Amino acid sequence: MSETNMRLLVVDDEPIVGKRLKQVFGKIGFEIETYTDSATALAAVAEKPFDIVVTDLKMEGIDGIEVLKRVRAMNPETRVIIITGYASADTAELAQEHGVFAFLAKPFRLDELKQVIYRAMETDRAK
Amino acid sequence: MPLRDFLKGFSAPRWLTPKTCRPLPLVFSQFREVLKANNSALEIIADMGEKLSGEYLFDLRYVESTVEEMITAMRRAIDAINILTEDQFVALNEVFTPMETRVRAILNKRDDRDGLSLLWLAEVETRHWPLVGGKAAHLSELLHNPKVRVPEGFVITASLFHELLDLNGIRPEFDRFEQLLSEHLPDEEALEALRLLLHEKVLHAVPPAGFLAALSDSLKKLGESCPSPLFLAVRSSAQEEDMDFSFAGQFHSVLQVPPQAETVYYAYLQVAASLFGAKAILYRRQVFPEGGTMSIAACCQRMIMAQASGIIYSVDPMEPGSQSMVVVGALGQGQAVVEGQVPTDFFRISKGEVVQVLERVIAAKHEALLPTGDADGGLEMHAIPEAQVEAPCLEDHILLELGGLALHLETFFKRPQDIEWTLDPQGILYILQSRPLLITESAQGAPRLSEKLEGYELIAADVGRVAQQGIGAGPVYWVETLADLKDFPEGAVLISHRDSSQFVQVMQRAAAIVTEVGTPASHMATLCREFRVPCLVGVPDIMSKVTPGEEITVDAEDRRIYRGRAVELLTYQATTTMDLNMAPEFRMLRRILREVSRLNLVDPLMQDFKPEGCKTFHDVLRFIHETAVLHLVDLGRDDHCFPGGLARRLDLPIQAGILAIDIGGGIAPDAPRDQIPFSAIRSIPFRAILQGMLFPGAWHQETMPVSFRDMMHSMMTTPQDTLSGQYTGHNIAIISETYVNLCFRFGYHFNIIDAFCHDVERDNHIYFRFLGGATDIAKRSRRATLIATILEAFDFSVKTRGDLVIARTGNLVQSEMERTLDILGRLIGFTRQLDVQMTDDQVVARYAEAFLMGDYGVVAEKR
Repeated sequence: MSETNMRLLVVDDEPIVGKRLKQVFGKIGFEIETYTDSATALAAVAEKPFDIVVTDLKMEGIDGIEVLKRVRAMNPETRVIIITGYASADTAELAQEHGVFAFLAKPFRLDELKQVIYRAMETDRAK
Repeated sequence: MPLRDFLKGFSAPRWLTPKTCRPLPLVFSQFREVLKANNSALEIIADMGEKLSGEYLFDLRYVESTVEEMITAMRRAIDAINILTEDQFVALNEVFTPMETRVRAILNKRDDRDGLSLLWLAEVETRHWPLVGGKAAHLSELLHNPKVRVPEGFVITASLFHELLDLNGIRPEFDRFEQLLSEHLPDEEALEALRLLLHEKVLHAVPPAGFLAALSDSLKKLGESCPSPLFLAVRSSAQEEDMDFSFAGQFHSVLQVPPQAETVYYAYLQVAASLFGAKAILYRRQVFPEGGTMSIAACCQRMIMAQASGIIYSVDPMEPGSQSMVVVGALGQGQAVVEGQVPTDFFRISKGEVVQVLERVIAAKHEALLPTGDADGGLEMHAIPEAQVEAPCLEDHILLELGGLALHLETFFKRPQDIEWTLDPQGILYILQSRPLLITESAQGAPRLSEKLEGYELIAADVGRVAQQGIGAGPVYWVETLADLKDFPEGAVLISHRDSSQFVQVMQRAAAIVTEVGTPASHMATLCREFRVPCLVGVPDIMSKVTPGEEITVDAEDRRIYRGRAVELLTYQATTTMDLNMAPEFRMLRRILREVSRLNLVDPLMQDFKPEGCKTFHDVLRFIHETAVLHLVDLGRDDHCFPGGLARRLDLPIQAGILAIDIGGGIAPDAPRDQIPFSAIRSIPFRAILQGMLFPGAWHQETMPVSFRDMMHSMMTTPQDTLSGQYTGHNIAIISETYVNLCFRFGYHFNIIDAFCHDVERDNHIYFRFLGGATDIAKRSRRATLIATILEAFDFSVKTRGDLVIARTGNLVQSEMERTLDILGRLIGFTRQLDVQMTDDQVVARYAEAFLMGDYGVVAEKR
């Protein structure tokens, strides 16, 4: 599987999340942009679509559900993955309604996220 | 009550203290509560430790919420043991409170405040790091490294810095300043005004009473241990310095300071005030846009009379893949080099097995920065005699020595290093600083990495678990027994079947560790995280896939092992700007775990095995566990409360005389009340031990001929034995479905096995203790050695003291646990009466080998 040219965007208000994911996915060849502020992240999405968006749920200003909605509105092809330390059945359901690809509870093994992203790429290819 | 009886109550040992008789089910449920609370606290600690491996993504919120959970679990465990023992250990609450306070201080980033204001570099331990700052932390690590020379000295800690803020009334301004720094768009004017004010106030801060006298004492002591004349280098060591970011050249240093308290204090104030220097703040805002707290300490070290000084990079930053190191140097003090005041010589040296000088560019050096020669100190430029101008600043043999040191420091810190060195007039090299070398990522780097790596044979991919993230390459070195560790070469990759905390002996020299079994929650994994050794565990059959001496590259990030030295991968590592271990979240979690997870209380036979001896959360839990088990054992023997009712005899084909106390699921419900057959034992760990004891040939039915002398010896010595109180009574097994605590004696030796075994491997443990015997101490000690040798072969970590053997292992999958417990059962049978035969040391070796080969009959042959 080649990850070349797969575009990945990460938004999480804790800088460590972006830093880590940049390191991990940059190493295996993803084109990755990271943001700590959701408004700026959405501006980047508006400029050029991403294949995959990984977003935190609870953020100041625009929260993860809103990021999901707007990203999907801009480009329905984009797979959105929500990562959160506060997973509840209600938010999970809400996210499902708005077409979230996967929901991951923090802290998680980086390998788990990798698998989810590979899966997202495969469903993409299958289409 | 007669006075005599009253006093007797005080002198009686703890386990003989009369207790009220509570209903049995209640006692058991209380005991189980203790185990449950204990396990849940241990689980949280293990879970936090695992997060440090780098395999997980976590954030500060995780750290905060988990610490709260852990503290709650600890309080629950303390309550539970007091309920079980009817408040015999309320002291645990007082012991735990300061531990909790320390952990909360770390969480609130206030752990740089409490502590000594002066600390000798040689005395700095990892727990002092927040107090001494990043640079001093690295220097203290080097000071404990016998291969490296670091100038002697002490640290004026961050605790003094905070004291100055309070004493001089500038705490509110400081807090306001940090608050502004964390704002997205702060009031720039207010920020600048505060910066100037703090700079000025710190520069003129009044020291606390007694500080100058203490400083004077330290200077005097330093003077006594150093060649004179003594001058000092006072250098910054800020909280974040040399961690994720270097802060290179951002703070002030004062060199050639005369050793008077007032002068050194003034130099220190200049260093401390530079925390508020314009360029330092600018840099800080760039690297920490989100703000954050920061304090500053200062290293005060002996100035080395420098013949030459400079920098060595353990990787060429311009060509990270080139396998060469780069040295720049000039005559005199290094400050002129780092500040670019003088032309420098340039050397390139190879990084291979034999270090060689590859390139030399010698500059014309007309000047050198040297001491003024005044008693007031200071440095100035001196002209160099014409004859020396064109000569290299370092001779070749020193250059090669320096190259060797840089290689060593790279393995030691597991990252490419940026090292400041100086050479004294006697030709001795000193290291003044060693920090991570950060290399700017080249544009063509990352995306092509996977293609570049296709040229390497993959030995293993996507197998095992990451115990510590990182990348390491080096020649394979097999460790089959702990004795192999003695010859472990610098920079090798340790390959072993099982993991062992004993590997700590070589972690500073190891490039990486790979084991066939093991878990990221083991003691070894914890140590790997402390020493930053990239480590993969649970990689099946790796020993059969690599040969000793061949080079391999371990990628303990993507869980891959390559044959050969994957230079591209190592280059990649050097060019990624983030060292995970230095990230604030990781450092905080590591500091917390340091307070929490160390185990100092090991054995109840030791004197400090009491609440006051507990130093960490783990100690408290260990104490609680041991106390609970002892309590139940005492109760099981207590005829007053449970006349014959608790324990049920086993009906085994061997004469082991074991009574079992079932506390839940250990015995089949339809088993007879007494004379329980082996088939009715449901306890997983107990069953495994019995299985071993019943293994054909392992249990010797015959009585060993004990000589008259041995017999006399046992009769005369046993009553004085420390454990004589526990020699009486029965062989008792407290069991549940997943637990066994087996205390028993055969002849005159005393055994404890405490084991927990179920399908979650990190909960699993075996604790084994063996003591005593009927013969003289020499024979008994030989048997102890025999047992220790065998247990070590089965990867137990073992301690012996005379005829006492304490062995432990754990974090094994259930099948491996059962196998190990089975072996213990056989060992008990095998060595039961063996001390009689331990006539010389050769016997020990022969019997150990026989046991390992499964030849249990050797005992009978001897007769």
